[in-house]
Amino acid sequence: MITRDQLATLLDRLVEKNKVIAPVSDNRGVVRYTAIRTAGDVAWEFDRAKVPPKSHFLPQTEELYCYDTTGGELRIEPVPAAGRAVVFGVHPCDLRAIAALDPVFDGVFKDVYYLDKRERTVVVGLACKQVLPGCFCRSYGIEPTDGEGADLMLTEVGDRYYAEILTPKGEALVREFPELFSDGGVEEGRRGKEALSRELAGQFQREVDLTGVKEKVDTMFEHPYWQEVARKCIGCGICTYLCPTCHCFDIIENHSGHRGSRLRCWDSCMFTDFTLHTSSHNPRSTKKERVRNRFLHKLSYHNERYGLAGCVGCGRCVAECPVNIDITKIIADIKEVD
Amino acid sequence: MGNVENCLLPLPATIQKIIPETSDVNTYRVTFDDPEVMANWRNKPGQLAMISLFGAGEAMFSISSSPTQRDYLEFTIRKAGVVTKALHSLEEGGKIGIRGPYGNGFPFDLMKGRDVLFVGGGIGLAPLRSLIEFMLDDQNRADFGKIEVLYGARSSDDLCFKQAVLEDWPKRPNCEVWTTIDRAEDAWKGHVGFVPAYLEEVGPKGEGKVAVLCGPPIMIKFVLVGLEKLGFKDEMIYSTLELRMKCGVGKCGRCNIGHKFVCLEGPVFDLVQIKELPPEF
Amino acid sequence: MKAVIDNLRREAVRLLANDEVKMVIGYGEGTDASRTTPYFASTPEQSAAFTWGPLCANNLAKHLLDYRYEDTRLAVVVKGCDSRGINRLLQDLQFPRERLVVLGVPCGGQLDRNLIAPEIPPGARLQGIEDTGKVYVLVTDKGRLSFPKDRFLMPKCYLCETNMPVVADFMAGDPVPSPAREGSDRTAEVNEIEALDVAARSSFWDNEFSRCLRCNACRNVCPACSCKECVFEQAVPGWQQSGIIGSKANSLPENMVFHLVRMFHVIGRCVDCGECERVCPVDIPLRLLYRKTLKDAHILYGAGTPGMSTEVQSPLSEFSPEDPEEFM
Repeated sequence: MITRDQLATLLDRLVEKNKVIAPVSDNRGVVRYTAIRTAGDVAWEFDRAKVPPKSHFLPQTEELYCYDTTGGELRIEPVPAAGRAVVFGVHPCDLRAIAALDPVFDGVFKDVYYLDKRERTVVVGLACKQVLPGCFCRSYGIEPTDGEGADLMLTEVGDRYYAEILTPKGEALVREFPELFSDGGVEEGRRGKEALSRELAGQFQREVDLTGVKEKVDTMFEHPYWQEVARKCIGCGICTYLCPTCHCFDIIENHSGHRGSRLRCWDSCMFTDFTLHTSSHNPRSTKKERVRNRFLHKLSYHNERYGLAGCVGCGRCVAECPVNIDITKIIADIKEVD
Repeated sequence: MGNVENCLLPLPATIQKIIPETSDVNTYRVTFDDPEVMANWRNKPGQLAMISLFGAGEAMFSISSSPTQRDYLEFTIRKAGVVTKALHSLEEGGKIGIRGPYGNGFPFDLMKGRDVLFVGGGIGLAPLRSLIEFMLDDQNRADFGKIEVLYGARSSDDLCFKQAVLEDWPKRPNCEVWTTIDRAEDAWKGHVGFVPAYLEEVGPKGEGKVAVLCGPPIMIKFVLVGLEKLGFKDEMIYSTLELRMKCGVGKCGRCNIGHKFVCLEGPVFDLVQIKELPPEF
Repeated sequence: MKAVIDNLRREAVRLLANDEVKMVIGYGEGTDASRTTPYFASTPEQSAAFTWGPLCANNLAKHLLDYRYEDTRLAVVVKGCDSRGINRLLQDLQFPRERLVVLGVPCGGQLDRNLIAPEIPPGARLQGIEDTGKVYVLVTDKGRLSFPKDRFLMPKCYLCETNMPVVADFMAGDPVPSPAREGSDRTAEVNEIEALDVAARSSFWDNEFSRCLRCNACRNVCPACSCKECVFEQAVPGWQQSGIIGSKANSLPENMVFHLVRMFHVIGRCVDCGECERVCPVDIPLRLLYRKTLKDAHILYGAGTPGMSTEVQSPLSEFSPEDPEEFM
């Protein structure tokens, strides 16, 4: 168990030697995972961060390497590896989303930028305290108190947090600051967590039945339904940028004279230029193809490649889509259409 | 293999030789600056590499030289976009970056003991050339049967690898080359006509034979019709697909056709696979 | 409200049944009680799903651009503010008048989703909306929810200029009172920012632009952003070749270039429909930026809000000898 004050102390102590990323609210109340200077920066009462914590592992703009071509020579310098970091306050849906991203950046070709941050980052999970109208993680088998994927999982119970050590990294973190954690009231904490879990389970407004959805959607590539969805779509990047499992990126040039660097930037399959060839041929030339690709990626392709769901039911796209394209409705419609 | 530690990091390389192919296509012969990288580089015919022009960007190209050629790599590249324009502005001695190799390459093991027909159009001969040269190489020649090459371009100027196509390959034992251009020219003594029509005219028998194609989509479309008539089986027809790529390693999300990434599972697919892919390329 | 919906559906059925239009673009039921969704009907039967009310914030004029190169005739439902966008598209020759049927709806103000959503009980299903004059009542299966108009409308509605469409071929209802607040000053917020010193103004916008996600929602929802290919998506704009300006990199200079280029681009074309501000996922006060240009265009050229009619040219698309020219 750890009290709020002790947790604040923990974050303050961690800041001394680590980059500490936590939900921070900006001047307009928009919460994102941002590096904090003190525990005072943390938006303790946040519900769901607008931008998911993937922004730590896959920053929106990230320098990959620098180069210098002065005098006709070529020198390429990789950017030094990231240091130790702690990401605090990751909700269960976003924990699951990180797990969904891991195999993308691992595999035969290892993405050292992502994997290095994953290895050197301790993920401190935080159970949800409420279910928002767009949330449907439960349909993906996630409970809003699940710690799966966290190194250390915290659940607010009364005026304290019930802390569960789930990995060696989590254990090392607790061992580093033994004075901040106590064993007293652990049983009460466990029961509190169970009660919270039961309470939250009853709060879901959106539930989808995923049975047979992948199989059905795999037969729907040519279905006119996608045109229907695409008519509404304005082709912005909100759904992809706020999606905790979307990982598409561009690599761009940033140079001045002979020196420069290459940056990796978030990109979106919703954008017209995403798949545009130099020849001007575009395999996904209209919104229909782009919308279809996104939903097939979420509901089939990711699963097919990695055996993991490509959606975690965080509800961000549901909440923020300017034209109310709602993936829970899409899933329901897929089951319905002929 | 190339850069294993950081798959997104290009390795410095130098243009050793620029061989003009057509008015807007050059073959670039390059070597890695680090001799150890050069010595350890291994690729399969038909694989890809990401070429970096510092100040312009990166783009993916097929390696047009044969893997049996261990001293250098060659890329045959048309001046088209930002990166290729920057490349074409370089001279011999110019510096570029290379990362790779990427993609599956041609499954040449499955072609062993068989006759192979290559059908190429324009710059589409580049990836085929890596496999043709590989098969014609002394150490591999006995593994493969007759090699036939049917190659066409819009004009005689647009023919790539003229020396090989017109002089060298036809002289090799058990190797036949048919060349055509779309429209008649005064100085051109060879065949005139489109590739698919010429294919029908030449009429190579398809039985037990492998066909490997690369060219503009419209050519591929009609060549496939011709191959079927000639008795080629879908699983014996291979083609390469081209999609926009940024990472080359299955992460940037651009080159997927259905759940397959062309940079990982492609660019070479057999016709059975191509027919199974959603029509989005 | 119900009468307007019935009229709208009837007209949509008529237009589609008589083959006068191929498609009607309107509003359909949303996936929760706080909103609607753009809805496209191509058959008379589908027209039964059209709805209308104070949850119809989307400016549907933008969707016309998807069909500008086709030869089909379309009908679109517009509120007063949206209708200015129609006039602008017509003026810019982005959509031909003869292919367009404008279905006007009288708007008494749109509810602000951010304000009403927290008040709606979890899982409530919307059954109807009543307008009592001062209050919108959302009738749901979990009770009647009252939203007084003086507290729950979108901020833009309190400054409403035209709550009845300025262009319409068919009106689905009689005029209703404007939600505009009596004596409200449309330039008040702009004046406040202008009153700050340069450093404070700069830091205000630096802060806002640095928060931008570069999702392009503001651009993509904007009826004034009608370019077939946006300058930020051109494969090789000349000025992009020597730097990253205009790339997808998220940095303050990049973001500022994006927003300021867009701002300059929509001067005289922005109809102040406020869609950019509504869709921004990080709540950048974009409308404030564009209202500054509206104010300046008014002071410099006497220009009114663009799109009020198709007669008045946009100030930057015509030259008059009386134009101010202190820069010469």
